[in-house]
Amino acid sequence: MDNSWKHYNSHKTDNFFDELVTDTGRPRVAARQAVKLLQGMSSEEMAARRGAAELAIREMGISFTIYSEGKNIDRAWPFDIIPRIIPAKEWRKVSHGLAQRSRALNCFINDIYNKQKILKDGLLPADIVLESGNYKPQCANVTPKFGAWAHICGTDLVRDRDGKFYVLEDNLRVPSGVSYMLENREITKRVLPELFKNYSILPVDDYPSRLYSTLASLSPREQRRPCIAVLTPGIFNSAYFEHAYLAQGMGAELVEGSDLFVDEDECLYMRTVDGPTRVDVVYRRIDDDFLDPEVFLEDSALGVPGIMRAWKKGNVAIANAPGSGVADDKVVYAFVPAMIRYYLGEEPSLASVKTYLCMNQPDRDYVLANLDKLVVKPANESGGYGLMVGPHASKAKRAEFAKLIEANPRNYIAQPTLALSTAPTFIDDEVEPRHLDLRPFILHGKNTWVTPGGLTRVALEKGSLVVNSSQGGGSKDTWIVEGSIK
Amino acid sequence: MTMLSRVAERLYWMARYLERAEDTARLTQAYTHLIMDIPAGSEPGWDILVRILDAEPIFGEHHRVFNEQNVLKFLIADEENAGSIHYCIRAARENVRTTRDVLPEEVWEHVNELYLFSMENAAKSVGRRHRHQFLEQVINRCQMINGLLMTTLCRDHAYRFIKLGHLLERADMTTRVIDVGAGALLGNKKLNKAVGPLIWAALLQSLSAMGTYRRTIGPLVEADAVVEFVFKERSLPRSVRFCLDGIRQELVPLKNHQDALKVLERSRRSLSRFSPDEARREDLHKFIDRFQIELNTLGTTIISTWFMVDGT
Repeated sequence: MDNSWKHYNSHKTDNFFDELVTDTGRPRVAARQAVKLLQGMSSEEMAARRGAAELAIREMGISFTIYSEGKNIDRAWPFDIIPRIIPAKEWRKVSHGLAQRSRALNCFINDIYNKQKILKDGLLPADIVLESGNYKPQCANVTPKFGAWAHICGTDLVRDRDGKFYVLEDNLRVPSGVSYMLENREITKRVLPELFKNYSILPVDDYPSRLYSTLASLSPREQRRPCIAVLTPGIFNSAYFEHAYLAQGMGAELVEGSDLFVDEDECLYMRTVDGPTRVDVVYRRIDDDFLDPEVFLEDSALGVPGIMRAWKKGNVAIANAPGSGVADDKVVYAFVPAMIRYYLGEEPSLASVKTYLCMNQPDRDYVLANLDKLVVKPANESGGYGLMVGPHASKAKRAEFAKLIEANPRNYIAQPTLALSTAPTFIDDEVEPRHLDLRPFILHGKNTWVTPGGLTRVALEKGSLVVNSSQGGGSKDTWIVEGSIK
Repeated sequence: MTMLSRVAERLYWMARYLERAEDTARLTQAYTHLIMDIPAGSEPGWDILVRILDAEPIFGEHHRVFNEQNVLKFLIADEENAGSIHYCIRAARENVRTTRDVLPEEVWEHVNELYLFSMENAAKSVGRRHRHQFLEQVINRCQMINGLLMTTLCRDHAYRFIKLGHLLERADMTTRVIDVGAGALLGNKKLNKAVGPLIWAALLQSLSAMGTYRRTIGPLVEADAVVEFVFKERSLPRSVRFCLDGIRQELVPLKNHQDALKVLERSRRSLSRFSPDEARREDLHKFIDRFQIELNTLGTTIISTWFMVDGT
């Protein structure tokens, strides 16, 4: 009688794809066991499990709050206990598409900083790429090992009304969030252990060792255990927890810029109690601009003077390689399917969102005529800045964007508004549908590897499509489950 | 596996500050008890505690009179005095906060709790009523953290630099404890006879060495014997000799240890040459001053050798 799911189907509408429940209101095959078990729990029981999860987060996340000193960075991240479940069969296709995409993007970056064949062949206009702020001329004429640049990529996926996954954007600079993915699984294991009984769920916890292997493969020296350092901006960075977490998981050194220096031999060293120790691979979690004051921002105290010299000489590997951001420009995004065909001779197996480039006359005309249906994004901003969601925007706002587009068409793209899928989420004392996305992580070195699942972010506010943790977003454990379900 | 100089340095200072907090608490505790034992009028002043810590200049910035209230506030709760118990605890916590990944997890929890305890109680424990309990708690908690470190830490660089910081600070503080004795009795012959044994016994107590002294030396507490014992007894964990031996043990396996070992050997030699029997109180005091300078040199050598690493 106090079943927290009783209103779920009336909350749900046919306008959105639901991850766990079909349009007819029945659990999807892969989710059946889990939903059955959860539906058997009273609201009180569910609330108790949520309480246990919060406690676990506090315990594990002590590391978050203490850096804040009660002020700036308080990070008990909201977590929903109901996992998102994806059948392995479906995931394999997505995973294949992600790997394919990562290979093409890496070919593209390497091409742009070397021969620029793709530009010469006219597949995309040169000025789009070369005039972008993410193109770093300082990186030209370098070919990192395996031609790999974006070694760690976080690609945001959403599921539209048709139930199909679409790529929303690729994050090729310093994508974060993977530690949440790992922690979410830990929490679910603690608070809903019985859920695991009837499932075979692909494990996620080997990510740190996969990351280690990828990074180690980049080492310029042949060594059994190359020296890997995770470069963090320091304890006040909001992702410091993740930096420390990954360094520890890999048995790597967690370093700050001041721990490193480049010696006369143009090699990178860290200052240790045994004297200078050579570093082979830097997994940097600071932006290009702060990496090397000799080359980028002069007054950066976070970076290491000379590290670019060492990198260009091939004496140290940097992951992701500086300049990788050139491929996550929103205009460049529109050309990724073409890149896949061009570099790999394959058909893209993962769909992209239809993208209108305002710099092209026909696209622009369409965009201006349909502003109320489209999402307009600036090409070079990230994190949802300067974005207009047509259906929710005022008339004045739309007029303002029309002007902006006319003034600087290169700087804008537009996409249809997507109907982000929903999943059952325990809110107060009831289970309600909430919108979500998914960020898998792709590792690319000698080989390419995709996390089974990824980080599911969920908009906790009713009807909201904003999943960012800074704006009321939470997260869910993401399960990729093998077929034969009892 | 090597260790970043920055991390080693923070561990070293964590250990020094923890030891300093504990030793200051011990000293303050012993001195408070001592004062209560000595007949009113002939008790030594509170200024000694500030003097032996070489803290008169900072003390002078905020206080004019060396009375109990001022001195104890300065030693227990002062926010700026790098020798105050609260300051040391805060500094130790700061250093652990950024080196948690190389320490057993519980270390952070206990150090953080110690800090929260001190935040809550240091200021209100200056007065005699709550002082004892506060100092006792600080000592207990520091001992628990030390025990935790000694029983769980892998014997690698982390352990080594923690031990170096810990022993160097302890050697220094032990000489200061002796200095209290020397200072209290200096130029006060009458006092010497009457309360000398009381003072030395209190100091032995502050080093948790009373029992061992009785068993090894005998029931009579005499100045020279105490000084000799606390300086040179190699089996006593708080003796200067014990600390220097321990430092040597940790320096030997470290790379580039030549300079530090040289300084250490010099200190060990001056310690073994010093003979309290022949020394007058003034000589003892002067010796301690010189010896502290040598320990200080050892500290700066450790810093420049292992914490300030540069290329060619």
